[in-house]
This record gives sequence, C-alpha cells and structure tokens, in this order.
Amino acid sequence: MQRPQQNRYKRRRIYVRRKVCRFCADKSLVADYKKPELLRGFITERGKILPRRVTGTCARHQRRLTNEIKKARIMALLPFTSGHAIE
Amino acid sequence: MKLRHYETMFLLHPDLSSEERKNAIEKFSGIIKKDQGQIVNIDEWPLRKLAYKVQKQAQGYYVVMDFGAPGSAIEELSRNFRLDEGVLKFMTTKLDDEFDPVEASKKYAEKVTEEEDVGGKAGTEEAGTTAEGKEE
Repeated sequence: MQRPQQNRYKRRRIYVRRKVCRFCADKSLVADYKKPELLRGFITERGKILPRRVTGTCARHQRRLTNEIKKARIMALLPFTSGHAIE
Repeated sequence: MKLRHYETMFLLHPDLSSEERKNAIEKFSGIIKKDQGQIVNIDEWPLRKLAYKVQKQAQGYYVVMDFGAPGSAIEELSRNFRLDEGVLKFMTTKLDDEFDPVEASKKYAEKVTEEEDVGGKAGTEEAGTTAEGKEE
C-alpha cells in the first residue's frame, strides 16, 4: 500500500523549470560567430552543440545558433572536437 | 554594378609584424575598392589563441571587414587570400543582397555609443535583479 503512494509523491516532485530561450528573452543578444565566448555556453566540453531540450533555445534561434557555431568552428574560434583542441 | 553587403573574416599569421599586417589589410581592402566596393568598417582583433592548430600555429590575428562589393570582387579577394601565405584562414559571409552604405555604417556608430554607456547599462541590469527579488 505504501509503494504507490511513494511513487505518486515522487512523480509530483519531478518537474522541470520551464527554460526560456535566451535569445528571445534578450533581443539585443544575437548569435554571432564573432562572439565565441557566447557560443561556448551552447556547446559541450567535447565541442558538441547542445540540444534545444538542454538549453531551452527556441527552434528559430537554435537554427541560427547552429549555423553560427559551425562558422566559428571553421574560423578556429571554436573546436570541432576536444581531440583537436590545443593543450 | 550591383553591390551586396558582405563580411569577411580572415586569420593572419602570428609571426607577422604590425606593419606587415597593416600592409596585408591594405592590400585586401584595395582589391575591394578596385572593384567599386565600399568599405564600411575594418576591425582588427588582438592576438588570439585558436581553438585548434592551423598550419601548425596555435594563435593568430583576426581581421573582420564589413563592406559592400559586387560578387566578382569576392572571387578576386578569395583568390588573393589563397595566394597569400600570411593568411591562415578566411571566410566571407553575405549579410544582405542589398548594400546601403548609410544603413551599414549606422551599426558601427551605434556600437560606439553602446560601449560608451556601459556603466548606464550595468545600472539598469542591477535594477532589474532587485525588482525580480521583490516579486519573489
């Protein structure tokens, strides 16, 4: 009898705070390959692009973000993978 | 000839002296001007560490040029980038199909004023956080 109650309790507790797209929240913030410091917040340590479900970026801004990260990689502002990185 | 709005970023070899860099930038901007292009802004970045090695170099000087030019100028520019050994990487992005020199230079005028009142901006941000705190 105790078990289902516990489960229900658990299920109710697990809720994720709604993430807001950072680019929608701050209109002056633009994803730009010339700002690698900003883009660094949207890639993993290994250099992979973080999915929308992690960062909360909206679809439109994620598309732009992805393109800008790829441009930054081409220009050696961001690493393709950590294996290619210096150090 | 129709001008389009472009932005070119290129990476210069770290061993180049400031004079050699200046000459290189002049050379490339000269190519744009020769093809009836108009340069809006040239931004030289300080020596920067690269994310990965390029031609065995771990750092380099980035230069960003904002300009309007006909498409043929880009071809000529790219050809010269490839020939120049001081250029490690280059990339041209089309910002817009139309080029309006007045509109394009506005961006840089605004940027300068923005940088000037950084102090004021920080002040408003602080106000924002205190307001949020009250709501909670």
